[in-house]
Amino acid sequence: MKRKTYMSDRMLTVIFYILLSIIALVCLFPIIFAFIGSLNEESEVMMNGFSMMPGKLSLDTYRYVFETQGSKLVNAYKTSLIVTIGGTVLSVVITVMYAYVITVHDFRFGKVLAFFAYFTMIFNGGMLSWYIVTTKYLGLKDSYLAMMLPYAMNVFNMYLVRNYFKGLPYELIEIAEMDGAGHFRILWKIIAPLSKAGIVTIVLFYALQYWNDFYLPLMLINHEEFYSIQYILYKMMANIQFLAANPSSSMAAHVVLPTQTIKMAITCIAIGPIILFYPFVQKYFVKGVTVGALKG
Amino acid sequence: MKHKKSSRKSFRQQWPLYAMALPGVAALLAFSYFPMAGIILVFKQYNFKQGIFGSPWVQPIYKNFSFFFNNLSTAMRSTGLTVMYNILFFIAGTFLSVAIAIMLGEVSSKKFVKVSQSFMFLPYFISWMVIGAILNSLINSETGMLSQIVAKAGGTMPDVYALPKAWIPILVIVNTWQSCGYTSIIYYGVITGIDASLYEAARVDGATKWQCIRKITLPLLKPTIIIMFLLSVGNMLKGNLNMIIGLTNLNPVLFPTTDLIDVFVYRSGVRNGEMAFASAISLYQSVFGLILVLTSNKIAGKFDEDATLF
Repeated sequence: MKRKTYMSDRMLTVIFYILLSIIALVCLFPIIFAFIGSLNEESEVMMNGFSMMPGKLSLDTYRYVFETQGSKLVNAYKTSLIVTIGGTVLSVVITVMYAYVITVHDFRFGKVLAFFAYFTMIFNGGMLSWYIVTTKYLGLKDSYLAMMLPYAMNVFNMYLVRNYFKGLPYELIEIAEMDGAGHFRILWKIIAPLSKAGIVTIVLFYALQYWNDFYLPLMLINHEEFYSIQYILYKMMANIQFLAANPSSSMAAHVVLPTQTIKMAITCIAIGPIILFYPFVQKYFVKGVTVGALKG
Repeated sequence: MKHKKSSRKSFRQQWPLYAMALPGVAALLAFSYFPMAGIILVFKQYNFKQGIFGSPWVQPIYKNFSFFFNNLSTAMRSTGLTVMYNILFFIAGTFLSVAIAIMLGEVSSKKFVKVSQSFMFLPYFISWMVIGAILNSLINSETGMLSQIVAKAGGTMPDVYALPKAWIPILVIVNTWQSCGYTSIIYYGVITGIDASLYEAARVDGATKWQCIRKITLPLLKPTIIIMFLLSVGNMLKGNLNMIIGLTNLNPVLFPTTDLIDVFVYRSGVRNGEMAFASAISLYQSVFGLILVLTSNKIAGKFDEDATLF
């Protein structure tokens, strides 16, 4: 078979390489910008604004942040870690078990439970009613549990795992049952190990959701001891906005913080772990999304 | 897995299944079904002490809805903004992610594909709060880097945080930036699944790459695009509260272009405790959302049985 090669084809390929490189760089740029921004000197930022090529790189902002707000930040980091690790373990266990239950054929309530979960995806009571139920009736306020339990079961993730389970030969379960293995054993020893890619994907989704969350702190957290790192950033942005809108307020008078560079430093502190783990997890991510995207 | 009918088993054999389902059922009951029951809030004269179920019924029963109709302009503004952004997000997002997927499919270096893809997914991993903080350092009129560049070029950057209109393009650009890598995975998956012999045959017939893209790749992507569109129609009335809080910190000056339904319910209901109106608009959002999802799923099912969400 003879293939013709056109000049235009080569041009097109070159253009594609260039365009893709540009898009990739645009995606990466803000993160690099945040990093360099946090190394800018506050006085220079106030004079000339943020720069990708500052006159001098300095760690002053980090030093300042840790000297003045070190304990606050360490505590926020601790909160974020507890919620992320605890929440992810909790969610993954609950989700995987539920997915297994609706995979087993001869379970009387399998279909009912599948619909029970599905229905929550198409109908919900709305934020307001959720908020009142969670705070007033379930008493979830100002605790680590308040930042974990509401996300305990994500139905999308549950279906993603179920799809992996469905892809396995059902005989695995039947034979194990005939050999007298209980369902916990079957799930733990046979089904889960064979669905590693799917489970890793939802571990990733849950961990990201917990780490990046500021919705639950916003709704349910008032005490400073439970502020997560994302929520600290939220509070800080709110203060900056408040000061910008009310330059003469009494708060502005005694707040002479290097707020601009601190903002970038806390941003870097918040995305640090993601950047750290990213190279290891992103390969699972592609596979997981491809499986989970259309057939949720 | 093929479905096999087998005899029902006894509770003694199956108790582990009940135990396994229990925590999930509890979570769904607590955080999904209980709030659904809470919808009756809209018929109540809510006070915190007596809660949703103890508070007295409003007289007349439809009173809270009259708030809704009296403030129809606010409700309609929120609805209009929510729908408008969802449409713009879909158009911009689909255009860019299809383009990325096609280009990734055409370049031959596997290493390049991997590296550029991993850069493009990165924004999806970052919280809206962090994106908002970075955006602020780029575009705020005093210290923002872009403002400085504009100033050096002789122009003046307007204070976008006081300029509602600016946020329509900003939100569209930022949202597309955040999600295009993620969405492109779906289209890229379809493209890598296309039978290579189709391209071979076209090449033998003397087609250029550009012609192959237009005549083979795009038409084969069309069903996926349609399905994605229908699925997004189901979410037309959902606004991203996290995004608006992260990027604008609920700056009231910007409400003319950022007051999505969810934003409105949050600020009036959760923050200010004005339950009557907020509960009415919340119910309206839930009910119409349900209708949209059911309709779009049904149509999607007609296109492709496998393509419905479930």
